[in-house]
Amino acid sequence: MEPNNQQAYDRGSTIFSPDGRLYQVEYAREAVERGGPTVGVTTEDSVVFASYGNARSSLVVPESIEKLRDIDGQLGIATAGHVADGRRLVEYGRRFAHQEQLRYDEQPGVETVSKALADFVQESTQVGGTRPFGAAVLVGGFVETPRLYGVDPSGTPTEWAATAIGKDSGDIRESLEAEYETGLDEHSGLKVAVRALASEDRELTSETLDVAVTRESGFEPFGSEKQETLLEETEF
Amino acid sequence: MMYESRFETDERFERETVGSIERTTAYETNEADGPTYKTGTTIVALAAADGVVMGADKRMSLGGRFTASKDVEKLSQVHSTATMAISGAVGPAQQLLDSLQAEASLYRTRHGEPMSMKALSKTTGHLVRGLPVQPLLGGVDETGGHVFELDGSGSVIEDSYAAGGSGMQTAYGLLEGRMEPQLSVSEATDVATDAVLAASERDTASGNGVTIATITREGVQIGDVTDMNGGAS
Repeated sequence: MEPNNQQAYDRGSTIFSPDGRLYQVEYAREAVERGGPTVGVTTEDSVVFASYGNARSSLVVPESIEKLRDIDGQLGIATAGHVADGRRLVEYGRRFAHQEQLRYDEQPGVETVSKALADFVQESTQVGGTRPFGAAVLVGGFVETPRLYGVDPSGTPTEWAATAIGKDSGDIRESLEAEYETGLDEHSGLKVAVRALASEDRELTSETLDVAVTRESGFEPFGSEKQETLLEETEF
Repeated sequence: MMYESRFETDERFERETVGSIERTTAYETNEADGPTYKTGTTIVALAAADGVVMGADKRMSLGGRFTASKDVEKLSQVHSTATMAISGAVGPAQQLLDSLQAEASLYRTRHGEPMSMKALSKTTGHLVRGLPVQPLLGGVDETGGHVFELDGSGSVIEDSYAAGGSGMQTAYGLLEGRMEPQLSVSEATDVATDAVLAASERDTASGNGVTIATITREGVQIGDVTDMNGGAS
């Protein structure tokens, strides 16, 4: 029975390291940083999302790579990181939002859905036999007012005016910090989002870019035509 | 075991040919101590050439002898191009509507497109099973207009036209004479309105006006028919 506990806090997610860190959660954040980036920007009357996703092979059908998704017709959700883990969170968000609608006959808000997702994600960092989600989500929508929330693998919900998740999210957020203004109209918000997402190693085309807007009237994913127009206007 | 006991209870929800609304079901006697609101009701649904038209009266009754409400909405949109008309006990019918709306919305977000009428009617059949509700479902998908009649045993019957509720005999009498294939939506609206009006004249549990829903590929429009006495007798 040689004690081999040197790395124990590096294995189970429920174990703190001696300096109070949860390494598994930090590794999960790294997994998110390897995922295709998504930008979310709140405007005066909408929340806009822009995602970059590159197919690993020319044989992959581009439409099958889902980045931005509809929760309940009103709210939108974006994931970054492990796609399989992200899908689980999307499904949880959809179920939760529909249950809320059924229970209260009210459109659930962005904060409510995001915090339910946050609780679900947090549970996986504490319950035995689980690992943290290797995905982060952005939840946005217009319910009374436009709001945008992010949930990271620790299960922390944060409200943002504009933010990014996924690869280079730090750089993208810096660009957003420089360009973002409160009270942007939707079109300016879209331009800010696309410009922040663009970089030398991310070629934005109607195939790699995915755009969606959530307004008071509901969630609208942009088709390739609208995306191309947007790219022309943003000069990419 | 559970499956067997479900079969036993099914007898209580068998379709009755006459006055199915007035029957006492096990659901009511076991679960409701007091009187239960019934729609009484006349509801109709007709497949037209380029859509579906549904009609309903507006009366809710207690035991078929007292008008508990004169302004009930019995037609509800459940899907981008589908509407359900309710007859039977009001509480379970409202639950059914809420659940069906949630299922149709979940399907749309998960699949990225609205349910087909086949999928929607099947789902309604699952949800209505065990409830003292006899709804009609009408809607349009890429295969055209569809009308379904359903009941608490879970049966789902497609037809080109149907009537339900305590006024169904009178309504069917009118439909048999006036229904034709390939009616226009406006012709079908007249037939549906007249069927509900005729039943409102003779059925004591139907009346207080007519609501019409027109369902086309463009969507659903529900509104009251004005300019009539509404069979207020």
